[in-house]
Amino acid sequence: MDQLIDVSLFAAALRMITPILLAALGGAICARVGLFNVGLEGLILVGAFSAILGNYLTGSITMAILFAIGCSLLFALLFAYMSINLQSNVIVVGIAINFLAAGLTTFALRAIFNVKGAYYDKDMQGLPKIDIPLIKDIPWLGDVISGQSILVYVSIIIVILLQIYLYKTVSGFRLLAAGENPTAARSIGLPVRKIQYLAVLLCGALCGLAGAQLSLGNVTMFTEGMTSGRGFIALVATMLGQSNPIGVAGASVLFGFMEALSYRLQNFSIPSNLSAMLPFVVTIIAMIFFKNNGYKDDAKKSNGSSR
Amino acid sequence: MKSSLQSLLQPLIAIVAGLLVGAIAIVIVDGNIVETYREMWNGAFGNFYFFTSTLARATPIILVGLGASLAFKAGFFNMGSEGQMVLGALTAAITAVYIPGPGWFKAIAAIIAAMIVAGLWSALAGWLDSRFGMNLLITTLLLNYIASLFAGYMVAYPFKDSTTNSALSQTQMIDKSVFFPKLFSGMTLHIGFVIAIVATIGLFLFIKYTKKGYEIRMLGGNPLFASYGGVSRGRLMVASMLISGAFAGLAGASDVLGTSYRYLDGSLVAANYAWTGIMATLLANSNPIGTAIAALFLAALQTGGMGMERNTDVPLEVSSIIQAVLILFITAKFTMSFIKRKKAGAKDGSTN
Repeated sequence: MDQLIDVSLFAAALRMITPILLAALGGAICARVGLFNVGLEGLILVGAFSAILGNYLTGSITMAILFAIGCSLLFALLFAYMSINLQSNVIVVGIAINFLAAGLTTFALRAIFNVKGAYYDKDMQGLPKIDIPLIKDIPWLGDVISGQSILVYVSIIIVILLQIYLYKTVSGFRLLAAGENPTAARSIGLPVRKIQYLAVLLCGALCGLAGAQLSLGNVTMFTEGMTSGRGFIALVATMLGQSNPIGVAGASVLFGFMEALSYRLQNFSIPSNLSAMLPFVVTIIAMIFFKNNGYKDDAKKSNGSSR
Repeated sequence: MKSSLQSLLQPLIAIVAGLLVGAIAIVIVDGNIVETYREMWNGAFGNFYFFTSTLARATPIILVGLGASLAFKAGFFNMGSEGQMVLGALTAAITAVYIPGPGWFKAIAAIIAAMIVAGLWSALAGWLDSRFGMNLLITTLLLNYIASLFAGYMVAYPFKDSTTNSALSQTQMIDKSVFFPKLFSGMTLHIGFVIAIVATIGLFLFIKYTKKGYEIRMLGGNPLFASYGGVSRGRLMVASMLISGAFAGLAGASDVLGTSYRYLDGSLVAANYAWTGIMATLLANSNPIGTAIAALFLAALQTGGMGMERNTDVPLEVSSIIQAVLILFITAKFTMSFIKRKKAGAKDGSTN
């Protein structure tokens, strides 16, 4: 472990990238329909908790993932209803979703598992690691890419599918149009609200997956507030990627890699308090260099402001 | 008249909704709703000791809330209160321990240093936004983590308490002469509460009657109109973030000098003062006096929750669920102000 950069660092980075990437893609879809979703953090937290709960209740990984998606969907539905139907300020709704997720998960931790702080069961199965034939035999690349949890691969596929969906399909164009100019979209008969609902729900499902990767992929446990800012970092990834799936993936790679690096630095007798700052510092610096006003226009177009 | 009635009705609806959801949570853990809420009330206001403890808990929440309300009034989503408060507390503790002089001097120096450091930290986010167009909401959220980690490092290494064998990451205890005087002997309530009340009235008068206060309201209400009126958005942004952060720093100093007597890593974050202060501001729609009342109410929910946990089997976390539902339902109020802004054609309506 004396080397700063080696194979296991890249393998770890791929694990760290996944939750950020999945959530950031969700944020990107929301941004595309004009909803600036600050509630990503809360949606991931709900996903992380319900993945553990689903696993505990059913003992099945598939059911656990589906359960995580379902619970995050419920929260996303609440976000959608408050911000689309009740026309509440999206930022405040997002913040409230974060509060609610933090409160409900700690409450449920007490009510269901009767523990405070963290739940861990050594017999619980995490997400299965998948070896990819052929690739796993390539010397360096195989060690990095192969043997990751299934959601790592799923997230890469989702990036490609989303890119095709948004820019190559009619329905994708409609989604973009609904965010670009809601009034014009409505005037040609597009169901703008329905499209917004779909986008938010898709975001909820992606955050559910992100949470599952966090609590069942990277570790096999749930701790209070275990998202620890990843939702906000994902939000920045959304902005830097200009809500374009491939761009978002690029930004997520940067932040995920920094997170892996910050863990690695602890092995070099750098105090963990300082090394843990790295992802946040890099995120802020990235905001200077990759300044863009795309998100601003998005925010203005549909909801007036990001106030 | 109608609008003031409405502004009262909104929080009431939110409170009823919060208590209803809380009741559902209580039923889920097999609690008795009436008994649980009675214990909650007793825990917050049951006797004089509990009552003053609630006021003591409200003190930092009011101060943070005031800071947030100033920024929100100007239209800036300052989500960085937690980091600002943590840095303020750290600065207050270090100053109080190391600066020479009589007790009163140390206390005042600690407060001023805390306000300056927290204010500058907050103004940094304002400057990054006005200079580089970096979204204030996001930078303040990210700066929270950096501030907390930095404070953790400071008390784990350079300023770690070496006078005891404690393994905790904390500063030395401040001298007794620096302690804030208590308002009643044997109670936890200290003079910080008086400071908070004075600050509330001061901020209310500032926003309502001064020229700068008018500019802040104008900028928050209609940025376009404000810029026609010659208000410099960037400068006002940095200034209001500076003051907003200074309030959070004062909150941190008041906790160190009045309650904890040292900076212990993670203690402020765990107590959730900063986020509760932001909630209070949201509940009160950024009105300073309303913020203080809402802060008192939220503090009562928390101390009441502790009482409830002592005397029933219902976990403390019910309180945080009630709080979150409150915020969720209070948002509908923001709707009206947003519609007004849209009508005005807010070209520069975004906070960043």
